[in-house]
Amino acid sequence: MSPFVMIHKIIFRPFDFFEDIQSPGMVRIKQAVALIICAYIARVISIYLLGFSFETREAYQISILQEAIWIFIPWFTWCVAHWAVAAILDGEGKFVEIVYGSAYALVPYIILIIPVTLLTQFLALDEAGIVNLLTYGIYAWVIWLFLLKVKVLHNFDLPKTLFISLLSIIAVLILWFVCILLYGLANQFVNFLLDIVKELRLRG
Amino acid sequence: MKSLKKVRIIVLMTFMMSLLASTANAATPYESYTINSQGQDIRSIAGFVYEGSITGLDLESGALVRPESLFITADGMIYIADAGNNRIVQLNKQHQYVRTIGDAEGPGKLSEPKGVYVKEDGTIYVADTKNGRIVIFNKDGQFEKEFLKPESPLIGSTFSYSPSKIILDKRDYMYVVSDGNTQGLIQLDPTGQFKGFYGANHVGFSWSRLLIRLIATESQQQKIATVRPAEFSNLDIDKEGFMYTTTIGEAFNQIKRLSPVGVDTLNIGMQRQYGDFYSAGPFSMPSFIGVSVDQNGIITALDLQTSKVFQYDKLGNFLFAFGGVGEQRGMFTTPADLAQTADGDIYVVDRGRNTIEVFRKTPFAELVQKASTLYVDGRYDEAKEMWAEVIRLNSNYEMAYQAIGKALYKEEKYKEAMEYFKLASARGDYSMAFKEYRKELIKENFAVVAIGIIVLFILLRIYIPKLTRWLARKVKEKSKQQLNAGAQPAVQAVAKEGETV
Repeated sequence: MSPFVMIHKIIFRPFDFFEDIQSPGMVRIKQAVALIICAYIARVISIYLLGFSFETREAYQISILQEAIWIFIPWFTWCVAHWAVAAILDGEGKFVEIVYGSAYALVPYIILIIPVTLLTQFLALDEAGIVNLLTYGIYAWVIWLFLLKVKVLHNFDLPKTLFISLLSIIAVLILWFVCILLYGLANQFVNFLLDIVKELRLRG
Repeated sequence: MKSLKKVRIIVLMTFMMSLLASTANAATPYESYTINSQGQDIRSIAGFVYEGSITGLDLESGALVRPESLFITADGMIYIADAGNNRIVQLNKQHQYVRTIGDAEGPGKLSEPKGVYVKEDGTIYVADTKNGRIVIFNKDGQFEKEFLKPESPLIGSTFSYSPSKIILDKRDYMYVVSDGNTQGLIQLDPTGQFKGFYGANHVGFSWSRLLIRLIATESQQQKIATVRPAEFSNLDIDKEGFMYTTTIGEAFNQIKRLSPVGVDTLNIGMQRQYGDFYSAGPFSMPSFIGVSVDQNGIITALDLQTSKVFQYDKLGNFLFAFGGVGEQRGMFTTPADLAQTADGDIYVVDRGRNTIEVFRKTPFAELVQKASTLYVDGRYDEAKEMWAEVIRLNSNYEMAYQAIGKALYKEEKYKEAMEYFKLASARGDYSMAFKEYRKELIKENFAVVAIGIIVLFILLRIYIPKLTRWLARKVKEKSKQQLNAGAQPAVQAVAKEGETV
């Protein structure tokens, strides 16, 4: 279905949205990828648009690559970890549905963060409350959509939704830990092999 | 003949090279820097340059041995506490020997004096450290009286009294630093009576201590060393009667300005790091052991850890740093104390090398000090020209941009002020200037702004609902189409599932 229809749906009728994507043939992974890229672009634009008095970092401290990592990696690990946890604990959702739903849950952020950031161009620091309120509002909306996704896709009740979400967050952290550990071990192993080769070459 | 010519050229070349080398001597042995708003060191013009040394070797007094401290009077007389020789040496403004005090046998015989103070009428107060007393000489250098360890129930019998620094306030009350004392400065009245401890440091809150107190048993707690407040290492007084102290063993607020009731007025509600910032390497913190304040409230402090001298304005903003660890002239091995003349030249006592190093204030420092004094007093407009000159000399001096910004703000030139605040990355000030600028802009273009808001309102009120209605209709049509189109594959899928079953 057209992405604009779906965006309209997730904003105004999120329950229907998550019900609908469970019917076959509705999920388009391409759209999910496009949306997550849009979220990244919105983030970058909002960094550029931020008013001078609201900046908390100097320009040289901002890395576009790092911003990308901070959006793509948590989002993707959430999808994987959440799918794994939910699959073990009788969740009904499929992986593609989770990916699709998680991408669409970012829609409020994509649409609203730029106008809210534009406000910082017209406001002074002592009026920062307005901007903060709106930004927290956006985050709250996104988090609510994520929870709704968990609830509707897997057909859970509310306590179980919260429990699974918490478990998923823990799973995300474990996943990162294991990845870093594996990276460290692999690094050591490669270095070890290289050292052996060096040693052999020097002795031989 | 040819070889002779060659030799001549070589000789000429070496001569010229030596000339080049001698011009390089004008550089300071240390790097000069200022600190920007992110706490980074930025190269800057030197505020103080090495001028000369006083070793006593060429004086009638003979060489200084382990000098501990010095005092410079308003008329430029220099009194050196020459601890290794158990005497006070007085030099005049031109560093010529005048007299020696306290080396004669008798009641006035000193033993390793570590501190000296001279009153305006010429009376000399000496902290006679090893003898554990304060000795007073009259202006002719004759022994007058002594004050031994003060008696008071507050002090107690186990108190070890070794006065190392002394200063007088306007009432002739003596303030004494006693080595190893953590209770504060000892306050004595003109008759030598103990009047109380003054301005003691406090032990801050610590999570680890709380945890230990909660977990450890009583016998375990007794084994842990009790936490004592940090001790004062040196002191100075300004013309308004504020006491400036340095504290060792603390990571924050090592320099304090104590009001007459002993409250710190320099770092109100702040945790400020003085000295260099240690962000890498083995953790160490500055240990300030000397302080001197001039008539404008500019604070100069000496750090033993880096052997550097740091200068701050009246509000504690960093101005200059110089010195360092080294054997070269202009560097120190074990600095002990510092003092400044009325002109702002700084004398640093180096106990390790038995010298006193003299540093001359550069015109740049003179300019910055004058400008910052005006700035601190809130006379932004008068300081503006000077700060502009500072920027001309060193465009990296961030404080200058902020100061000019404030001057422009006061002149109600908000747009220009915003530019300067931006350069100084002073976000709070920028925001204030921006607010005023915004007000001005709205006032000037009131018609445009008002019409704009009305147009926006109409757009939002009429066209946005129209647009959403149109979108909703489109969405409905599309979803209907999709449903019709999607019905076929859905049926197929069901059929496939049926096959597998």
